[in-house]
Amino acid sequence: MKRQVNPEFQPVPSSRTKTPSGNMAEESGAYLWKSSIAKTGPKRRDQLAGYLTISPALLLILALTLYPVAYSIWLSLLEKHSFFPQERFVGLENYIYLWKDPEFWTSLWLGIVYSGWTILFQVVLGVAAALILNETFWGRGLARAIVLFPYMIPTIVAVILWKWLLNDTYGIVNYWLMAIGIIMDPFCWLGADHIMLSVILMSIWQFFPFVLLSILARLQTISPELYEAAKVDGASAFSRFIHITLPQIRGILFVVILLRSIWMFTKFDTVWLMGEGAGAGRFIRTLPVYAYMRTLTYYQAGLGAALAVIMFGILVVTTVIYFRLFREEADIG
Amino acid sequence: MKRWTSILCLGLVLGLISFAWGTEKKVVRIWHTETEPATVAAFQQIINDFEKLRPDITVKQEALAWGDLEAKLTAALAAGAPPDASHGQAVTCASFYAKGLLRDQEDIAMAIGRDNIWEAVRRQCFHDGKYYGIPHSAVTSLLIYRKDIFKTKGLKPPETWDEFIKVAEALMERDKDGRVTRYGLSLPGVGLFINIAVGELTKVNGGRLFDPKTGRPTFTSKEVVEVLDFYKKLSATVLPPGWLGHGYLDTFANLATGKAAMLYQGYGRGAGYIERYAPKEMANSDHFGVLVKPRGPSGKETAAQIDAEPWMIFKNAKYPEEAAEFLKFFFKEENYIKYLHTVPIHLLPTLKSVRNNPTYQANEMVRKWKEWQDMQYRYFDTGQAKPTLIIEWDDLKLPFGLEILGSGIIPDMVTDAVRGMPSAQAAGRAQARAEELITKLGHKRW
Repeated sequence: MKRQVNPEFQPVPSSRTKTPSGNMAEESGAYLWKSSIAKTGPKRRDQLAGYLTISPALLLILALTLYPVAYSIWLSLLEKHSFFPQERFVGLENYIYLWKDPEFWTSLWLGIVYSGWTILFQVVLGVAAALILNETFWGRGLARAIVLFPYMIPTIVAVILWKWLLNDTYGIVNYWLMAIGIIMDPFCWLGADHIMLSVILMSIWQFFPFVLLSILARLQTISPELYEAAKVDGASAFSRFIHITLPQIRGILFVVILLRSIWMFTKFDTVWLMGEGAGAGRFIRTLPVYAYMRTLTYYQAGLGAALAVIMFGILVVTTVIYFRLFREEADIG
Repeated sequence: MKRWTSILCLGLVLGLISFAWGTEKKVVRIWHTETEPATVAAFQQIINDFEKLRPDITVKQEALAWGDLEAKLTAALAAGAPPDASHGQAVTCASFYAKGLLRDQEDIAMAIGRDNIWEAVRRQCFHDGKYYGIPHSAVTSLLIYRKDIFKTKGLKPPETWDEFIKVAEALMERDKDGRVTRYGLSLPGVGLFINIAVGELTKVNGGRLFDPKTGRPTFTSKEVVEVLDFYKKLSATVLPPGWLGHGYLDTFANLATGKAAMLYQGYGRGAGYIERYAPKEMANSDHFGVLVKPRGPSGKETAAQIDAEPWMIFKNAKYPEEAAEFLKFFFKEENYIKYLHTVPIHLLPTLKSVRNNPTYQANEMVRKWKEWQDMQYRYFDTGQAKPTLIIEWDDLKLPFGLEILGSGIIPDMVTDAVRGMPSAQAAGRAQARAEELITKLGHKRW
């Protein structure tokens, strides 16, 4: 019968577990217990040294990540003017105010619409483009370089470019659509009714190369033998995609969707520059834009911070659910 | 011996460091809203000349978009690093003065001559008998129209809003399929410009935006509701359908390229855009004229908005005194005229002596677009021009103008109305939001 040993007294395969007699094989419980007590001092010293060596990094993380988050949470409990030094502790009043604020709910909804559609189409377009660019064809190198262009240009340049293209009175998009007979009258791309569509289209164009790049990198590591074997077995292109490609890229897809979701839900620059929060811009006043406006145009830093904390909370909860739903992909990713 | 040499060397190094520290140049940061490349270049020339006189000072200019200025200033103030001097709206200056952030500019006023400051702009940032901001220049908004088409159609200048809509409709043009090829009017849909227009329209309609005694918003008053009705009519008849998405420059592009016949929120700098973008034979005041702005159904006289940002100097900035020195240099006539001539019809002089200076008057553009300049002087000289959101000068005593301007409440009110909400309901919604904001800011007095 195998003797059961308390895990606490398991021998450690090092010189420290040697008995005074030097017999490494000795497994006496009494001896190990004594030995454990005797060696506590040096162990603690080692632990302390370990903590000391990682402490600069820990401090940096605390200062740069946790402190701003903690300060935002604290700020959200205050009624504070954005630059005037006076402040008043109001507890959860800012959150209660936002709960009743129709502007908040509208912004949340607009943020979900914007991020939902942009993520969906970035992924679809990104995967499709990656599959095409993974094939061998003439000019593939150039095509790969060109397709990354939208992701490389600064947002302000992209927005000015798109606003110019989509202008309803002199934009070239309307000109061509009318010239080929798709529309009869100029389409108000940047008007109140369609500005959301325009900002979604622009964002898909700007950010799908990130998905493409990530997926393409993974596709290039899949063994061609898998496809060859499937072909020999008579699998169609669609079948190969479903049974070989998709299972291979699901790990990276999990990460890409997670990152893009976080980035699109908190996307500020593109949306703000397209609409500037008022006029037609009111119809793309997503949660980050609303948080910015509360902080720097209403000058209510407390409410702005509360909105930021709510955004943070939504992202944390969504991420946890996402990880639970796709546990297997998370492990691969 | 070795030890003494080391000590000597150390002393020498420390001495050099402290000397370098002591003689480090003072960097004065100036923010302004004149982004025109020619203006930036002229301003830099003034800076260069100033730096020759004061080698201990370096002046760094930053030209910012007009619509971005307030948010950027606020962010800089919140970070504890404001520029030393900056442009600002009159309401911004009033808010900053109320919060005790500004250095007074009595010394600058004395240097350029208190009586030499043009009466029309003296009150832009003048509080408790002291100047807290002296405008860098002055301009009013203009109703710009296609004079050639107007004449061809035999139209009369509109005096009321109803007449204005009729004129705008008459100026519209359609192709054989009934599609509009030229709209009657172009308006910017950007928040700042909607704020400006609502203030101006309320004034020409005889109303107020805030109760002068209590500061309570008066958005639900008959005069403001009529402004919203006017917006609705314009939107339904003579404006391009996507006007809410148009920027300020889009409206000039629309006018210069013949897509629109009138601009209600035009400015003097538009003359430059017309010269650049309109067909050459049309780029003159025979084709693009200015009209007196019509009055509303409850109003008795015309009005226009003043765009005359005062220079503000921040008390808690690093070098406020040096910034004041620079501004005194800026306002010296020989420097100031160089600056004004970069956009002659848009930058009218703040100083009376400059207005009569032959060097200032000897400008081709001033002569060419004199009609535009005269219209602005008319608004100024009759006291019909007021800053953004200001109906009467005492509105500048209200300490929350900056917050109302930035909040988007007024643009949202207009958007609600033109998108179909009854005007009274849109006004009521904005009223409630503005009251709540003022209360939260601690300025409720009703």
